[in-house]
Amino acid sequence: MNHPRRRPVTSIRRAIIAVSVPLIALAGCSSSSSSTTATANVAPTDGSLTIGLLGDIGQPPDPDIYYANNGLAIVLNTYEGLVQYKNNIDTVEIAPRLATSWTVSPDNTVYTFTLRSGVTFHDGTPFTSAAVKVAFDRRIAVKGGAAYMVAGVDSVATPDDLTAVVTLKEGNSAFLDYLASPFGPKMESPEGLTKNAGSDNAQTYLQTHDLGTGPYELSSAQTGTKYTLTQYAKYWGTISPFKTVNLPVYNDASSIQLAFDKGDVAAIVAALPSSSLPKYETSAAFSSYLLPTLQSALITLNPSKEFFATKPARTAFMQFIDQQKLVKQVLGDRSEVATTLYAKGMIPGGADRQNISYDASVFTAYAKTLPAGTAMVIGYASDNNNAQQMATILAAQVQAIGGITATAQGYPTSQVFDWANGPEKGPDAFVDGNNGPDGGSPYMWGHVFWDKSGGINYFLCDDPAVDADLNTAVKTGDTDLFVTAAQQYSAGGCYLNLSYNKDWVVAQKWLGGVAEAHNIGANELDFSVLTITK
Amino acid sequence: MTRFLLRRLGAAIVLLLLLTLIIFVLQTISPGDPVRAYLGVNASPADIAAKRHELGLDASLPVRYLKFLLNLLHGDLGISFRTHRPVTTDLSDFLPATAELVAVAFLIAVVLAVLFALSGALRWRLTGVLRGLLLLAATAPPFLLALGGIVLFYAQLGWLPASGQGADTTSPTGILLLDSLLHGDLVQFGAAAQHLVLPAVVLAIAPAVAIGRVLRSSLDTTLTADHIRTARAKGLPELAVLRKHVARNAVGPGLSMGGLQLGFMFAGTVVVEQVFSWPGIGNYLAASIPVADFPAIAAVTLVLGAFYIGVNAVVDVLQALADPRLNA
Repeated sequence: MNHPRRRPVTSIRRAIIAVSVPLIALAGCSSSSSSTTATANVAPTDGSLTIGLLGDIGQPPDPDIYYANNGLAIVLNTYEGLVQYKNNIDTVEIAPRLATSWTVSPDNTVYTFTLRSGVTFHDGTPFTSAAVKVAFDRRIAVKGGAAYMVAGVDSVATPDDLTAVVTLKEGNSAFLDYLASPFGPKMESPEGLTKNAGSDNAQTYLQTHDLGTGPYELSSAQTGTKYTLTQYAKYWGTISPFKTVNLPVYNDASSIQLAFDKGDVAAIVAALPSSSLPKYETSAAFSSYLLPTLQSALITLNPSKEFFATKPARTAFMQFIDQQKLVKQVLGDRSEVATTLYAKGMIPGGADRQNISYDASVFTAYAKTLPAGTAMVIGYASDNNNAQQMATILAAQVQAIGGITATAQGYPTSQVFDWANGPEKGPDAFVDGNNGPDGGSPYMWGHVFWDKSGGINYFLCDDPAVDADLNTAVKTGDTDLFVTAAQQYSAGGCYLNLSYNKDWVVAQKWLGGVAEAHNIGANELDFSVLTITK
Repeated sequence: MTRFLLRRLGAAIVLLLLLTLIIFVLQTISPGDPVRAYLGVNASPADIAAKRHELGLDASLPVRYLKFLLNLLHGDLGISFRTHRPVTTDLSDFLPATAELVAVAFLIAVVLAVLFALSGALRWRLTGVLRGLLLLAATAPPFLLALGGIVLFYAQLGWLPASGQGADTTSPTGILLLDSLLHGDLVQFGAAAQHLVLPAVVLAIAPAVAIGRVLRSSLDTTLTADHIRTARAKGLPELAVLRKHVARNAVGPGLSMGGLQLGFMFAGTVVVEQVFSWPGIGNYLAASIPVADFPAIAAVTLVLGAFYIGVNAVVDVLQALADPRLNA
């Protein structure tokens, strides 16, 4: 799925944010003459860690249901999959988790996993290979958004307790990425699922409990208020000094920021506005981390609207965008200018180079040929301030050419997703401030953004040949074919990868292991890896 | 009186039916795909169609509306597309917190309104300061007032918490003040009260001024009435005059405005609960709107509408009791 890493924000909240930023700045200024000379808050002595959530998690923290943003902090610390992305590196690399090793058949149809021994579920039952099939079956049964990840599984054989052989219906080179994805299948206690099945495959039970093997157990879930995790004493891996993790819900960025400044919150993951970046980057009292992700800012054009109905018009507009300047001006250190069509590092050596160079003259000349007052709407998701800024800047630049009446307009999330049911209802262009695939395979990127059935091809700008190439490449893992598909799609002029976005994490000075607790796919922290620094 | 009550009840039911119909029409014409929000954007077209059918979203508007009404009669408000829980369960979680907030805010509003009115009418010292402060606060948008309060009382002075309800455990009724009192837990009661102060005061300011102004005007009029002059001339102490002859005559308009403001306060919780991360229905509604979680939106709207209509009906009845001419 795409998982735009911001919760939906209403116009009320945007107004609140707009007013709160100067207020918070005032508060900061009056409490210390300079942020660089502020005093660091002290570490907790009661074994508790507080990580603020910006907004409620939205959906139940059930790994087969949860398909949104900040609730992954709960899912990924209470459940584990067979594999994960390796922590603390900026490239896509699969690492062991509940599987210690694996082999893949040459045709990508048979995946054999050797499982970790001595692992127990939170209900005390042992983790064995039988749990793999149960987890896959439940995912299909509850029909959540990420059920597609196991839809291609033909069978799961369990020759012994510590070996699982997964056979797919056809080759799929992305299958390990499905398993490593934060939304990928997680292992759940078969006994616990049976015992608490009810009439909905234990969905009701897992709204307030967990049945995973992770370092923490979900000990309380007060929807909209607070979630609490308690350390699982029999966890097989690293035991952190934090016995309890509190996840209080804040509903606006200013409140969570004030709580962080006062030391009531230990860390905030990817939730603060870019405008706060300078304050924390230069502060001696706090630590600021810019960590790699698979997310990007993107621009997509709508071929169903008259303005961008032709390929030359689309290409001219993409050339009109001063990518370097726009990214630096709006996103600053949180992003770097994208030079490839897929996410950074997805294709080795950057062979998927994006061949759109800045040249405003082509679009300027095109604009002169249009009837005076021709309207152009540049859309953005109303919950994304960065996208709003970029759309506003672009609209102003287009307006400055003369002849075109360009406006920037915000759309709520549900409306953005509805454009696929009728692209003519959408704007002429859309600035996506932060979006990405479920995992690190180029197929997962190409499928969601370029295939009309992918989900995030908002305006159904489709090239059947590209879809076919992607579907062939995923079977074999043919990197060259992935590159061909990307370049062909890019030539259509509907798509520009604007920037590689990073997760911005702010933490108290005493909190250690932050970068080590993060990986490129998860966008959340593994709390068991966090430490208290002296 | 019975006829009057039946007439009010009938009107309330018609209004609520109209409200639900408007919500349904708005849902139909508004853009947005709640099924995508429910399943995630990567769901296949087949899954989306199946879920749409399962949720009854592929039926015509009249069919969906009738089904909604039938379910409503059975206390079934549907399943939230966002939380995947029955909306009645969500409401039972969130409504008590809002009720607690509004109740305390209303109490504060009434006290401030009475002070506002009496201070003006009786020409107390520092009257101007009190009225000026209240009027200044009332003219500020609630979210600005809330943020100012947070910056001052949480960030700078550290006197009050800035967010949440203050509970470490799930409260049986969801009304922490009540639960902690019933359990004799004064620590929890203190924490709950502390968390309530800022949001309740912010919510109370504007209604306090609105009620206070009406009350003051009514007091001014009553205080210059002939029977008051007579009471004073008899040598009655001022407090006795106020208690026996002024209060009962002047309270009517204030009561009416109080009822109106109580209804508005419920609507005002959307902003205040957002800023203070208060786990009430205002927050629930604000989170449901961007993802077009129609069952949740409809349920909260219905609850707010029912409350507003209910409060106004009660005020009408009280006024009718006070002035029998209104029954005619």
